[in-house]
Amino acid sequence: MTLQRISGRRTALTLLVVFLVAGFLLTRLVDVQVVRAAELQDQSESVRTTTETIWASRGPIVDQFGNELAVDVDRYDVSVDPRMVGDFRRSGEVVTLGVAISEIATITGGEYDQMLETALEDPTAHFVYLVKGVTPEQRQQLRELQIPWLQMDLVRQRVYPFGPVAGNLTGMLGIDEPLAGAERLYDECLRAVNGSSVYQKGADGVRLPGTTVKVEEPIHGGEVTLTIDSDLQWYVLQQLAEHGTRLQAEYGSAMVVRVSDGNILAAVDWPTFDPNDFENTPTQFMGARVFSSPYEPGSTMKSIGIAMLLDAGLTTPDEGIVAPGTYQLSSDHYIKNMSVSDARQLTTAGVLHTSSNTGISVLASRMGKTQAHGYFSKFGFGSETAVGFLGESAGTLKSPDNVDTVTRFTQFFGQGISVTSAQMAGAYQALANDGVRLPLRLISGCTTAEGGFVPAPTEEPVSVVSAQAAKDTVNILETNVAQGPLRGILEIPGYRVAAKTGTAEIANASGYGGERVISLTGMAPAENPEYVVLVSFYKPQVSKVSSAAAPAFAEVMSHVLKHYRVAPSSEPAVLPPLTW
Amino acid sequence: MTTTATFTPSRQGSVRNRTAPATRHARPTGSVPRLRYIVVVLAGIFAIFGVQLMLSIAMSSGAYEIAALKGDMRTSQQELQIVAEDINALVAPSTLAGLATAMGMVADNNPAYLKLSTGEVVGEAVPASGKGSSLMFAVTGGGDTPATPAIVEGVLRSVALAEAPIEEGEPVESTEIVVAPEPSTPVTTTVVAPTQPLSQKPAAPVKRFGGSIPSPVTR
Repeated sequence: MTLQRISGRRTALTLLVVFLVAGFLLTRLVDVQVVRAAELQDQSESVRTTTETIWASRGPIVDQFGNELAVDVDRYDVSVDPRMVGDFRRSGEVVTLGVAISEIATITGGEYDQMLETALEDPTAHFVYLVKGVTPEQRQQLRELQIPWLQMDLVRQRVYPFGPVAGNLTGMLGIDEPLAGAERLYDECLRAVNGSSVYQKGADGVRLPGTTVKVEEPIHGGEVTLTIDSDLQWYVLQQLAEHGTRLQAEYGSAMVVRVSDGNILAAVDWPTFDPNDFENTPTQFMGARVFSSPYEPGSTMKSIGIAMLLDAGLTTPDEGIVAPGTYQLSSDHYIKNMSVSDARQLTTAGVLHTSSNTGISVLASRMGKTQAHGYFSKFGFGSETAVGFLGESAGTLKSPDNVDTVTRFTQFFGQGISVTSAQMAGAYQALANDGVRLPLRLISGCTTAEGGFVPAPTEEPVSVVSAQAAKDTVNILETNVAQGPLRGILEIPGYRVAAKTGTAEIANASGYGGERVISLTGMAPAENPEYVVLVSFYKPQVSKVSSAAAPAFAEVMSHVLKHYRVAPSSEPAVLPPLTW
Repeated sequence: MTTTATFTPSRQGSVRNRTAPATRHARPTGSVPRLRYIVVVLAGIFAIFGVQLMLSIAMSSGAYEIAALKGDMRTSQQELQIVAEDINALVAPSTLAGLATAMGMVADNNPAYLKLSTGEVVGEAVPASGKGSSLMFAVTGGGDTPATPAIVEGVLRSVALAEAPIEEGEPVESTEIVVAPEPSTPVTTTVVAPTQPLSQKPAAPVKRFGGSIPSPVTR
């Protein structure tokens, strides 16, 4: 009996303990599984869940051959946790902080002292950048150092592989947004949107299968194709630099346009800037003056004037006129020539050949203001080119009502009208293309990440003058090269070249000062022009006459002909008489 | 179900009379399929668990494989990028011109062509004057001259090594690339000076540029 009682108590006690434990466990179970389930679930997920950025690439800017002018690359920002910085062991050996920093400095090309100072400056800080933008190669070398307190984070950086070659056209990317050029103009095409992926990862950093909860696919940027030929662009830039330096000019611009399609093959500004290093460049050297800086072109405008007069039937190339020494407009105003002071018997061709201000004034008097304005507009003056470049200037073309008696004449030799280099090159393209002005193109279009091509907006061709008037004008321009004083410089053996010089006075507050813009604009081969070349220098100091720009023009033109394998001229030129 | 299965098709006698012995008889015979059933079900469950475990293991190892492959892809992409950057640096017009100059080439700006079909010279062949061709001009206004990429420097050095020592004692023409003075600062800066002194003549004949890049000596 006692035994039974004892056993019964024991059983009861055991049962009680069992129930108590079971009850406790059940309570815990309910608490964990039901009461705090959501909270705990969140906690555990937040530990394991990670959001990864999927980097998207901003689209590249390429030249017409696909050479990358601007491209996104991987770079790494190297940082340290100053609280952790110190000596460490590498394969059993102690490496001191100094040694580690000097190793980092050697690899990244940084300053040892500066890096050490940065790392030790604030020992309570959690994070400090040691060096930014190291290349993947350098990062690999840094990793091999096995420094425990070194942290490297991937960043995307915009680089411009050809440096200053097309900086004026590509523009550059600031920290958050594009600042200039095609980068800005075509930001919509180039822009990329980083994606992200939310998933859970294990202790060793591996993505747990089946836990990816949200994926935002990255949207890569499209590719912008310029019509530029980088090699030519570089060559022209070198020529501008060489001759601009020689002339001690303030700046120079040049443009090469293909006649058949209006594509700009080179649009060059000197001095320019390196978009990789734009922070250290004075702002006046950024941007594309070839589009943004209008100037009074001077005599290069005479070719346009003559073409207008020929087209309107107001003269013919061999019409004889008398170009007076001084052309009196009113009692106070007169027009005179730059060098010749006596009257000369010139043909219309001779007027353009000798660049006679009085001669062209005689002819200009035959055309009304409104008609002249219509022609100037059709040549593209007074409005932006079809390129629509960022900060592009429309120049100044006065409306017929605002054209006074003096300007009415001076417009014909490029005063009282201001144009950009791009506009002038475009106008000569019309002369070269049988009087039909094609819209200039700098940007072919945008190739989206999906592969679709969106051509850049453009304009309709404009028939400016008749084919005959254009041909006659080019024919007259040929005399400048074949028979003019610059023959020795401008002639390219085997080719017929047509060109016009321009020496323009730069207007200041008190009229025209002593500073000049010298330029040459022309085309070759003259019998069937394929390329238009424009070269101009602003405020040259060594020589202020247009002949000083001739060597640069000749170098560029002959390079263009060689570069594009233009067949030499086969038929000799038949040139118009210049005097009578 | 098992009971129904063992029910004899005889239609005689009451149902109760027949059912009782039928059930009694059916038990030993029916327990075997039932056991089999349980075994099958349990085996099925275990098989499912097993397969699930296997799949889970496979997925985990797959996850590691994915992680490793993604890492590989990243590395490959970066290698591609490094090479692309090197190529871009090498095809840059300034690099090509610098190399050409370093190799002693001069620009001939007079276009002339040889027509292969007739052997006729088209255009006027004028010998290159070489004027100004050894100069490379600074084109930026202000700012530092950007550092030459390492790969370009390597190639320039290899070219210089191959070019420099032709005959002992013979003076070597300068292949310096000189940055022309800017208008404001009339200082000539030498950015690259690939010319090597004669004493550094390599022992073995060195291949001209065109071999491996940028190693100066190919064996």
